[in-house]
This record gives sequence, structure tokens and C-alpha cells, in this order.
Amino acid sequence: MTEMINTLMETVMSNQVSIPLIEPMLDSLPEIPMLQYMVAFMLWKPLFALLICPGLTVGGITLLFFPWIERKLCGRAQWRVGPHEIVWWLGGVIQLLADSLRFLFQEVIVHKDAHRPYFLQFPFLSFMIFLLPLLFIPAGTIVAIQTPYAIQIILALVCLFPLFILGLGWASNSRFAYIGTVREAFMYFAYEIPFIMAVIAMIILYKTSDPLLMASRQSIPGIILNPVAALVFFIGAAMATGRMPFEIPDSDQELCAGPHVEYSGIAFGLIYVLCYEKGYILSALMTILFLGGGSGPAIAGLGELSGVFWFVVKTYLVLTTLYMLRAVYPRYRLDQGLKLGWSPMLCLALIGLAISLVEVGVMAI
Amino acid sequence: MEETEKDRNIRILHSGVFTPLRRWATKWSLWPCHFLTSCCGVELAHTGACGYDMERLGTLNMGISRQANFIMVEGTITRKMARALRIVWEQMPDPKFVNVIGACGQRGGIFWNSYNITRPSDIVPVDFFIPGCPITPESLLRGVRAVQEKIEGRDNTTMRFKHVELPSGDGEQEQNRAPTTPKIFAPTPLVRVDVSRDADWAFGKDMVKNLKAQLNGLYTSITITDKNRIAIKTMPENLVETSRKLSDTMGVDHVKSVNVIDVPHERKFMVEYMVSGYTEELMPVILTIFTEIGREAEPEITSLASLWESANYSERELHDFFGVQFKGNEGMKGKFLLAPDTPDTPLRKDFKLEEEHYTIEEGVPLTPAITPPHYTPPSSSSSYSEFELEDLKMPTYEDVLKEAEKNDEFVAFIGPHHSGSGHLRWVMRMKGDIIKDVIPDPGYVHRSMEKIAENRLYIQNVPLTERPNISDPINMNLGYVRAIENALGIEVPERAMYIRTIMAELSRIGAFFYDMGIFPLFMGHSTGFMYSFAIREMVLELMVRMTGSRCTPSFIIPGGIRRDISDDVLDRTRKFTTAIYKRLKKYENIFVYNPVLISRMKEVGVLTREEAIRCGIVGPFLRASGVEYDVRKAEPYEVYDKLDWEATTGDAGDCLGRIFGRLEEIKQSVEIVRQAVDAVQGMPRGGVISEEILGDYKAASDDIRGYLYNVYGNLVLPKGEWTSVTEAARGTVLYSIISDGESNVPYRVRIITPCWMNLRGIIEASKGERVADFWTVYASFGYFPPEADR
Ligand code: SF4
Repeated sequence: MTEMINTLMETVMSNQVSIPLIEPMLDSLPEIPMLQYMVAFMLWKPLFALLICPGLTVGGITLLFFPWIERKLCGRAQWRVGPHEIVWWLGGVIQLLADSLRFLFQEVIVHKDAHRPYFLQFPFLSFMIFLLPLLFIPAGTIVAIQTPYAIQIILALVCLFPLFILGLGWASNSRFAYIGTVREAFMYFAYEIPFIMAVIAMIILYKTSDPLLMASRQSIPGIILNPVAALVFFIGAAMATGRMPFEIPDSDQELCAGPHVEYSGIAFGLIYVLCYEKGYILSALMTILFLGGGSGPAIAGLGELSGVFWFVVKTYLVLTTLYMLRAVYPRYRLDQGLKLGWSPMLCLALIGLAISLVEVGVMAI
Repeated sequence: MEETEKDRNIRILHSGVFTPLRRWATKWSLWPCHFLTSCCGVELAHTGACGYDMERLGTLNMGISRQANFIMVEGTITRKMARALRIVWEQMPDPKFVNVIGACGQRGGIFWNSYNITRPSDIVPVDFFIPGCPITPESLLRGVRAVQEKIEGRDNTTMRFKHVELPSGDGEQEQNRAPTTPKIFAPTPLVRVDVSRDADWAFGKDMVKNLKAQLNGLYTSITITDKNRIAIKTMPENLVETSRKLSDTMGVDHVKSVNVIDVPHERKFMVEYMVSGYTEELMPVILTIFTEIGREAEPEITSLASLWESANYSERELHDFFGVQFKGNEGMKGKFLLAPDTPDTPLRKDFKLEEEHYTIEEGVPLTPAITPPHYTPPSSSSSYSEFELEDLKMPTYEDVLKEAEKNDEFVAFIGPHHSGSGHLRWVMRMKGDIIKDVIPDPGYVHRSMEKIAENRLYIQNVPLTERPNISDPINMNLGYVRAIENALGIEVPERAMYIRTIMAELSRIGAFFYDMGIFPLFMGHSTGFMYSFAIREMVLELMVRMTGSRCTPSFIIPGGIRRDISDDVLDRTRKFTTAIYKRLKKYENIFVYNPVLISRMKEVGVLTREEAIRCGIVGPFLRASGVEYDVRKAEPYEVYDKLDWEATTGDAGDCLGRIFGRLEEIKQSVEIVRQAVDAVQGMPRGGVISEEILGDYKAASDDIRGYLYNVYGNLVLPKGEWTSVTEAARGTVLYSIISDGESNVPYRVRIITPCWMNLRGIIEASKGERVADFWTVYASFGYFPPEADR
């Protein structure tokens, strides 16, 4: 028994997040009995990744505050202030808290024609599935599960998302949801192939699909090495998250929010944050593939946390750009979206692949 | 005591362990389902836009009822809309709140004795009423605050008003405010639409000769009723033949208005078609072909819709109003504009509306003693909680569904409550992503303007005429007032004419930016909406300074304007003409020239010249298809012929052309305003109401306040039909007033608004396009349902 605990502690202690700043504090901890173990566990890299960054804490903060940032920024772009009165001295920063609590306490209506079990399951299920890729995404050097196939797994999971949206629409059994679902399916095929090809281009370029290695091999960030692939990835991400020029499946004014028109209460609350969740994951992926992950000038005293810091900053940058498209572009039509996916983007993705191959060839010589 | 629906919401919020959290969250997250039922919606849009920014309060506009928890009922709920309101309310999750805004929702407002409206409080439980016609954005925000306070559990369940002492002038003035004029209804009036009038119009005399030769044996009489107006009387059996002749030989190609006049004491209906053609000489001319048919239970006449398609919807509408069967029009089965449970044939003279009378109550001098419209559904239930949804009626389209199923098509019912439908319903049949057909179901804001107008004094109709379209109020007023002036032969003082022109053009600019604000919203581009409404806010600011009202000034009265406007307002208007370009440029950059937008509008919804004329579309949309018809050029009124400007025409006829055409047009409008302001600034002040109409009250020529009813109360128009066409923001608005020469109320008022004519164009233009394009087409026509439904 003691042996087991000892081996466990050894594994835990050997893989700690090192933060020089709080080290003196940690040293004084052994005097308090259990706390030492708890802190050790918290700082154990896999658990840290799961619970803090990029996992639950940062993810949660993103979901709670990013919509506020988006609304505020859009407000600025549109000559107004956005959410404000709720805590006026902080500019209404907890607006989303109020919204989500309201959803939580509101009635959830399941209408007569819906397929009841699926109608209720899908929002929760998809929320879970959407979280899974976070396990494989490293923040700096901290990752929950490290495998050489991480990128492939993330991609596979990301490509699963639309299936759940289809499920939502199907279970709703409503006309607008039906049209929205069909559109989602169409769009899915349009962006998926170029999107995957862009990722493959980067895998070829870095000759690995372990995100940690990938980040370390970007002495020059990927976006400069292969800007075409970066562009394709970004547009693909905008399509996948259904952001403005491609907000085709759930176009509010045409289809009343398409697949999730029938959802109310907390079920809708979950769906509402789904697209932010998607956005967060894709931005994180973009950070790893094209922006050098957590690399950046080390900040004194933060140790490995400095990687985490840069990672979060970059992710937010991408996320903001992705979401500010809304303030600039109106929506494409379905056929235009499809055309864009199937022709220019596919071509660009091929060019991206070619660039990678050429660069790899040149480097080999 | 039994728990009411309203208390239930509060109880839900106040139960359970998490009460404080619940209350707090609900308070700050009231998402309104924008139930834009009628004109008050314009002000709601302003509240949401950057000027007032409703989102500050956490109030995010959400079009989807399942996810909203707050309804703002904007104004009138008609019988047809009642069911939609109820459904939306039922669809919303608990706890939910309802605010009714606008006078219409309370005691009926200006439409209190209409046959088609209901009180929202009879249909859903209401938390707050917010008064105003329309409400101002400030009071709307105040309404949101009131709901928030209610959720917090504060006691003020109503807004309390302080009792205000009205300033009492001397006795005489006090009386002057009273609409003391009793209405005079002639018992057996002589109704004629072909009263001849001497007009200095050589072309007309030639034309009559020509017509007489052409229509030999088909007509009973041909009369010149006014300059540019000719009435042709014919027998019912010759109607089609006459029309065909006109269409074949004279180039008459569209119908401007269809009208039925009920004359019960002579046992007849008069049916008239006002037609014209878009050839150079025919443009300003309106030919009225009319005939008389017996007043039986099921009067019949042959439809002209197969000849002039533009008559189609108007015929269907008149079928609803009078029960006249237009043989050959396929839409004669059910009701078109009216709800299934509206009284039958409401515009016949034997259907009487309630009359108002004024009482002098303690403290408040003049209280109109009106009974608010009370909606009693067919079943015996008396309150909303006992209502069955089935009691409220909305048309169903069984046959369409059946046919679509046969053809393997998909049918979607869009509206009347939909984020992108406005307040009318579209039955869209599609195959794949292609629209096969769109069937309009209008009438959700039909508030029976025409019937009400027959029951009010001429001057009382001035505020009424602008209600259909409060985004373009001045032009709506102008048309009505010009018809009266024309009938009475009044010369309007020059200064007043210039000011009227300035205001009409400002109103046109305002309406353009209203439409161009809604358009981006339909495209999912909220920035365009905000920028556009920011510019509109500037226009409204000027309106307030000129008239004291944002949207409903009723400022133009027969003979001039209510009062003179001051020099600093003119200065401001002058500055506006330069300042607008700065914002306009930003707006153009972000929205109009947005590549995504251009790719969506180009070659979408094309109407060729022929199609456009056939569908009878009007205004800038017609010009975009290449017809050079602008009333301001063809039949100049006010001072348009003295100013230097150009009418814009295009030839593409697609959505892009319509938008760019209108954009060019308002740039011209800004020029007109600038020139007119310069001209007014050089004129002496005062004298803005014609002396001819003032009579003994010459003192009122600067300011009509205090004398309005003395001067206008007993206005009687000479016998005959007086038709005016005016170029409103969205096209030609036609008023035709029929007076019997004895009553001081009109015998019949026919109002044809541009949106009503454009409805057919929308349908034609969207056939064969992709589903998403429907909204592009729809919004490019600037369709404003209250205006269309009247
Ligand atoms: S008439 Fe129009 S503006 Fe007036 S209260 Fe009614 S809906 Fe509002």
C-alpha cells in the first residue's frame, strides 16, 4: 500500500509544473499535512492541463467571458457600448453569468413532436464531446495526454462535431431545424477536406504530429512557413464554427437559428456556448499549428507558466479575430459557401500541401 | 384568491433555495422576442440601435420565442395577429414577461374604433403598458426597467403619473382646443366620380377626342375631372373591351388603384380602375374607368387581372372589403387581407363603426369617451386564461400543402413572427434550395384605415394618414393634404412649400436609412444596421427640432404647415447636408461596398422592365428596372420643379440596382434639401398657412395652435373624386378622396401605398431564386408591412 502511494507520488512529483515564483511557498507547505499532497496533485502536469489550462478553468473562463468580450468589441465597432448596466463600474463583465444562470433556472420545453430522449441528450452529449480535444492540446509544455497521434485525434474529434449538430436538428423535428440541419451537413462536407488538408500540410512540414514537438519545431512560426495553409485553416475554422460570413446553417433571420430553434432553458444555454467552445478549440489548434504554441519570451518567475500565458494570449487573439468577422461581413448564401469550400479553398489547400512538400524537400537538401 | 398568470411568473422566481440568484439573473437577462407588430416597431429598432443601445441593460434582442423570456408587443394587435401573439407567448419558457408598448395596445389609440384590432391584454397577460404613439425609445427603456424592478419584488407594479394641472388659458382659448365640430353625414349624398372641372389642359382635350374616337360605342361618358385626370364611364359588360382597347391602342400598361364605392341609397356599387401608362405623355395622366353594378348580396364584375396583373391583389382586397366578386381572379375564395373571423364586408356603408364623443370630466377637460376594442372570441370564454387557441383564427393553407406533397416540394410557413419576415406570413414552396413559389399572406397589420377615415373629419385624418408608415410620415401626409388642397383650389404660400419640400426629402432620407438598416439585419450584418440607424437618428433629431415629434409630426395641414420653423433649425439642417456625408461614407464602406454583400445582391431577384411594369411595382424599384417615372418629375408638386436635381434610373433591375438606385436618390435628396434651405433662408419669416383657408382667423397664419378646429373643423370638399399621387420614399402613394359635397367627412378614401403595389414584385422577383435570396429580395424592396396593409 505504502509502496503504491510512494510510486504514485514519485510519478506525480517527477512531472510537476515548475513555477519559480511560488516555490518558496511550496517549500513551506510540508508543515501542513494533506495540503502538500493536494498541491502536488494540482501541479501534476496532466491534472494541471485538465483542470486549469487549457482545461476546465481557462475553458470555463472563455465560455463565460469571451461572449462578453465579443459583445463589447462589436459594440465598439458599432458605435455603442454593449452590456453595461449590470456592474457598470466593470463595464458589465458578468453579463454572461446572468444569462447562463437565467438559462439554468428557466423551464426546458420539450415540444410534442420532438424525439424526447435524443432531444434532451444531444445538447449535453455534444457539450461533453466538444470538451474532449482539450485533453490533447498542450498549453506550453503542459498537456494532459501526450501521444504522437494527438493532432489526428483532435482532428477526428473536431470532425465529429457536426454530427451532433445534425442530431440536434433531427431530434427537434421542426421545419426550420430541418433546413438548418441539411445546410449544416452540406457545409460540413465543403470545409472538412480543405481543413484537414491544411493540417496535413503542417504535419508534413514539422514531420511530426505531436503538438509539443510541433510547437518546439517552430523557430519560425508556421504562419510564415506556410501562409496558405494558415489561411485555409482560418477560413475552415470560421466555417466550422459557423461565424458570420458562413453563418449559413443557423442563419437567424432566415431559419430562426436553424438546428437549435426549438431548444430552451439550459439545453439552449449549452448550445449557445457550444460554438464558443468550438471556437476555443480551433483557435487553440491554430495556435499550435501556426503560431508556435506556447513559445514566446520567457517571463521571469513564471517558469513553465509563461508558456501557458503565451498560449492563452495567442489563442485569444485568434478567437477574437474569428469572432470579430461578425462585425464586418454579412452572410454568404449556401451555394456560395459551398462553392468557396469546394473550389478556391480546395485549390489553396493543395497549394498549401505543395508548399510544405517543397519546403521539406529544400530543408532535406 | 385565485392565482393569475402574472403572479405565477413572480412566484416561480421567488420559490426555491436559489431565489436571490434567480431573480438577479432573470432581471439582467431579459431577452425580448421582438414582436414587431406595427409602426411602434420603428422606435423599438431605434432602441436597439446605437443611439439608445438596449443591450446596455442586458436586453439582447432575440427573435426566437423558445429562447426569449420577454415580449414587447409593439402596438396594434389585429385579429389575425392575435393567434400569433398567443402562440409565441405559449412557446416561451417560464417565467416570462409581457410589455405592451404604444397607445394601440391599450385602448386602441388612433385606431380605437377599427373593426380589425384587439387588445393584447385580452390575449396574453400583460405586465406593463407603455403609452405613446409611438413610444419614445426612452420610455421603452423605462419599461424594461419597470419589469426589472418588478422582478426584484419592488412594490411599484405600475408606473405612477403625477397629476398635472393643465394650464388654463382664458375661457375662449380653452374651448378652441375642443373638437367641437359635430360631424355631418349627409343622409342621401350624391356620389359622383366624374364631376367635370375646367382645367387649362390642352393635351387632355385632344386626348378626350382621341378616346371618344377609339372607344366608339363602348363608353357612356368621358369627362375631364381635373388637370391630368380623365374619367371614363362604361357599362359593366363593356369594361373588359374598353380596357383592352386602352391597353392596345393607347399604351396603358398598369393599374394605379382599384376602388369600389358603396352607394346604398342608390342600390349600386361603383367599381373604378385608375390606369395609366409609362409612356412619356401618358405618365402624369390618370384615366379612371368606372362602371356601376347592382348592390345585391353577391355582386359580380369581370376581373381585369388577366389584362393588368397589377390589379390582382387590389381586387382580392376589395373582395374582402365589399364582397364584390371579380370573376376571373383566382383568389376569390377565402379572405386575403382580413382575418377569418373579421366581420364580413366591413367597408359597406351599412357596417357602422362606433362614434366617439367627448366628455368634460373633473380636472381633465376633454376626455374622449371611447370604449376600447374588446375582443370577444366566438366561444363563451371571456379572458385569456380560458381562451382556446382554436378561438383565434389565422388562415390555413391545406390545398397548398396537399399540392406540394404531390409535387415532392417542401413547404415552410414563414412569419408572421419570424426574425426575418416582418409582420406578414409567407408560404414558401421550395424544391431543394430553389424557391418554386411564394404565397403572401398579408393583413397582419390591417387596421382599417379606409373605414376609419370615412368616419372622421378631414382634419382628423391627417394624423391617421401617417400611421401606416411612420418611417416616412411627411410624404404620407403630403399626399393626403395635396388632394384636399387640389380639391379646394388653394395656393400654398411659397415659404411653406419650401419647408414642405425640405421635410419631405428629410423623410425620404429617413425612410431609406430605415430600410437600409433592416436590410443588413436580414443579411446578418448588425454593423450595417447600427450605422444606418445612427444616420437616421440625425434625421429624427432634425424632425424633433422642426416639429416636436420624432416620427409622427402631422405637421403638414391643408394650406401650409402648422407653424413656421426657426432660423437656427434651418442652420442645423444646412449643416446636416454636409455632415451626413461623413457618416454615409463609413456606412457605404462597411456595408454597401462589402464584397460579400455585392456577391449576394448581384443578379439576384432580377425584374426586367416589362416584368416590373406588369407587376405594377412603383417608385425607386421601378426606376431600377429602367422606367423613368418619378412623380416629382412627371407631375411636379411643391417646389420640385424649381430646384436642380435628377431622377435616378438604372437598368439592371436586380437587388444591387435597387439599393444603389436608392442610395443615389437620397444623395439627390440631400442636394434638394440644401438648395431648399438656402432658398428659405432668404425669405421673410411668417405666413406659412394660406390666407384662403384661414378665413377669419388670419392671426393664425404663423402658428395654427389654438385655432385648428375653428379653421379646419368644417372643411367640406367639393363634390367629386380628388386623386393625388405623391412620390413617397418607397414609391407612388395614391390618395383618392371621394366627397359628396355636403358632409364634413369624406365619403370614401382610397389609399394605395407603394408597399402594397410592390408586394407582387417581391413574389415575382424571388421565384426561381435560392431560398436565402428571398430575404435579399424582400429587403431590397424595403417592404414595410403596416404601410402595405394600411
Ligand atoms: S398607431 Fe402605430 S405608433 Fe401609434 S401606438 Fe399604434 S402602433 Fe404605435
